[in-house]
Amino acid sequence: MVEEPAIQDVMGDFNNTGSERTAGGPVLDAAAMAELRALDPDGKAQLVKRVLATYQGSLARLTEQLAQARAAGAWEQVSRVAHTLKSSSASVGALGLAGVCADIERLLRAGDSVSVQPLLDRFGSETGRVDQAVRQALEQLEAAGT
Amino acid sequence: MTLHGVSQETNDRRPTVLLVDDDEVNLLMTAAALKDRGFDITSVPGGEEALSKLASWTPDVVVLDAIMPGLDGFETCIALRNMPGFDNVPVLMLTGLDDEASINRAYQVGATDFFVKATQWSLLAGRLRYLLRASRTRQELERSKAKLARAQDLARMGSFDWWMGDGRSFVNGLELSEEGLRVFGYGPDDRVNLRDMLRMIAPTDREPLVRLARQILYQVSVIATDVPMTLPDGRFRIIHVEAEPEFDEHGHCCAYTGIVQDVTDRRIAEDRIRHLANYDALTNLPNRRQLIWRAERALEFGRRLGHQVALLLIDLDRFKIINDTLGHAAGDELLMEVAFRLRGCVRHCEQLFEGVIETAGARSHRTLEAVGRLGGDEFVALLPEVTDEADAQRVATRILEALREPVVVAGQDCFATASVGIALFPRDGNTVADLLRNSDVAMYAVKSQGRNDALVYTPRLASRGREKLQLESALHKAIERDELVLYYQPKVDVLSGRMVGVEALMRWRRGDLLIQPADFIPVAEETNLIVPMSEWAIRQAARQARIWADAFGFADSIAVNLPNRMFERTDLVEQITTAVREEGIPHGMIQLEITETGLMKDLARVMPSLHRVKDIGVQIAVDDFGTGYSSLAYLTHLPITELKIDRSFVRELGVVPQSMAVVTAIIALAKSLDLKVVAEGVENQRQMDLLYGEGCTLMQGFLFSKPLPPEEIQPWLEQVVLPKKAAWIPSVSKVLSGADAEVDVGRRS
Repeated sequence: MVEEPAIQDVMGDFNNTGSERTAGGPVLDAAAMAELRALDPDGKAQLVKRVLATYQGSLARLTEQLAQARAAGAWEQVSRVAHTLKSSSASVGALGLAGVCADIERLLRAGDSVSVQPLLDRFGSETGRVDQAVRQALEQLEAAGT
Repeated sequence: MTLHGVSQETNDRRPTVLLVDDDEVNLLMTAAALKDRGFDITSVPGGEEALSKLASWTPDVVVLDAIMPGLDGFETCIALRNMPGFDNVPVLMLTGLDDEASINRAYQVGATDFFVKATQWSLLAGRLRYLLRASRTRQELERSKAKLARAQDLARMGSFDWWMGDGRSFVNGLELSEEGLRVFGYGPDDRVNLRDMLRMIAPTDREPLVRLARQILYQVSVIATDVPMTLPDGRFRIIHVEAEPEFDEHGHCCAYTGIVQDVTDRRIAEDRIRHLANYDALTNLPNRRQLIWRAERALEFGRRLGHQVALLLIDLDRFKIINDTLGHAAGDELLMEVAFRLRGCVRHCEQLFEGVIETAGARSHRTLEAVGRLGGDEFVALLPEVTDEADAQRVATRILEALREPVVVAGQDCFATASVGIALFPRDGNTVADLLRNSDVAMYAVKSQGRNDALVYTPRLASRGREKLQLESALHKAIERDELVLYYQPKVDVLSGRMVGVEALMRWRRGDLLIQPADFIPVAEETNLIVPMSEWAIRQAARQARIWADAFGFADSIAVNLPNRMFERTDLVEQITTAVREEGIPHGMIQLEITETGLMKDLARVMPSLHRVKDIGVQIAVDDFGTGYSSLAYLTHLPITELKIDRSFVRELGVVPQSMAVVTAIIALAKSLDLKVVAEGVENQRQMDLLYGEGCTLMQGFLFSKPLPPEEIQPWLEQVVLPKKAAWIPSVSKVLSGADAEVDVGRRS
């Protein structure tokens, strides 16, 4: 479960598996979220909220960085951004995005800047979905008064 | 080995972790997860921040994300390792799962371990704890290494390894630890090989050592030996080497590992202790312990090689007197000089300790030969091999000879003669204790025979000793049980035919036996019982004088024999005074007799007493006169009143012509000194006549009366003397005068 999901899983059956796994939403993996909550069981440290907020901030920043690097053809920069986003996405349960990032990083490290293009497009839409899911989750937390 | 104190401390405290990750989400979660698992987390988002943090703080462990913008994990790790004090802080590198390059690199840059980034926090926490434990163990190891080094330095000790090199040779493979090098005065960077070591050993010691080393290597045994060495800086040191063999997988010895230690000081101290334990502090001769040890070894050799061993017990004759009169310092001085002389009488071997002798060759028992001091004025000469009794006697003679010359102590000549008792192994004893006891018996026999001589032990001496012991204890009881009696032998004046006094003679009524003085007085003299016996005799004589005075008007004196030591007592005058006062008789009724030999033995010591005794009116007679060696010069000044001619001259009168000359001389001497002269042991008329002819009229002997029990004196007087019924009484025998005497005597006999 901790292992990064293979690209096929992410691309082929992401929604399905997502909707099957979670009650709260398809994008953020429920098991990962549960794990996150388990780190702060009584919510005293507001860890879930802080992690999600941090993630939201870095997602926006990194998406922007990646877009700029892509436009400039700075593939190494793109790879590093994908690497960073990969692990933090996996941490909050954004397994789909994590998978996309992993594939981008792997292809670019192999020097393949051609095959990576459709994945980069996919990265754009995936970040939007994740951002929305995170926002929803934060709103729910807000509503629950935590 | 973990130290309890250290692990306790770290267990009580949350381990501190510096967490470095550019991914804020990860940083947050990892921090939260580790905090939850008991760690104290400090998070920083990059390498630069991490290094600035570490400038002022050292966490227990550092966790680095490998891939970070700016200073990445690897570069951070390199920088960190270069900071002072961070050589051993554990660093955990976080890498991707499939990132083998990063894993390898992590180790290259000095990371302690790697961990694949994941959300399995328990695994991460477990890995961190493992790193902390390993680090603590390592710290303890470092600490104990440092302690060991310090302890080794203090103990002047260091370790070494010595391994077998090419051709199975041990010549080149030597490595000393820093402390080990220091033992020899080398610096930490000096290189030393086996040849350098051997060069520090004196050539005479080198060969046996190499031989020993060969033997040890051949037998693959443990090395433990002391090696005397002259270090490169010229200091002489004794280096103790101790090592154990190590074995390769085939069981062959491939190396030795062990320690070297400078044991010079210890050896010096040990030698000193051993010397103190084995040698007499005053004379520096072997003491009792060392002597007994040597004697035991000598007996072992004697048993094995079948030869005789001699033990000579040497006891000084007059040490106590010297010590008492000249003081202990003089006594010590005398003992030192005696020790020096005795040492010259044997092949004295100085230093000899346990273990040395076994290796010294076939005649090595010869090195046991020594003179030692048993204590006080008692010395022993141990002769580890003698061919016969005469051999031992020769040494004894040499010893007596060496002590014949006077010793000057406290500015004065002292004669320190000795009595020597000799015992031979195996004839006179199989153990050291037996030999010591029997040499003691022989030595005492010498003492009782007049000292300054040597005697070989014989069983007869021992049995005599036993008899003496029995006699001694019986004599003690004799005084308590009133078994002593005085017999009295009259002294007569043949001119007037009257009794002029009696001599009291002691007898011992032991059961039915009446024991003569010759059989118990010597023992009494030796044991000092003579003192109470003499005191009793004075009192008893005074009592008898009273009885006789009352019975028949006795008004002469009773002569009591006293040994010279009674005259050395300061209370002699009081003794006599008390005795005569109790009986209400004048002092003059007690006369004292001292033998010529006793008188001259220590004239200076008895002289004051003689004067005091004479001053209170007690007369003194010199007994057995003519047998000793009187100093005529002294004789004129002595406060004596009477000389008694020894019975041996009287017995030979008319038989051996020289006796007449002696008797004549004594009589002339007495006359000229205005002393009375009494002839003892007069047994026949002829002797009496000859004495009378020379002008000696006072006599004592069987011719007149044997010694009588006190109650028979009065009858003797009444039945023999008063009726003038005896042949010696002038009215019966004719009046003897002038030149006719001899003619008359001749006709009569």
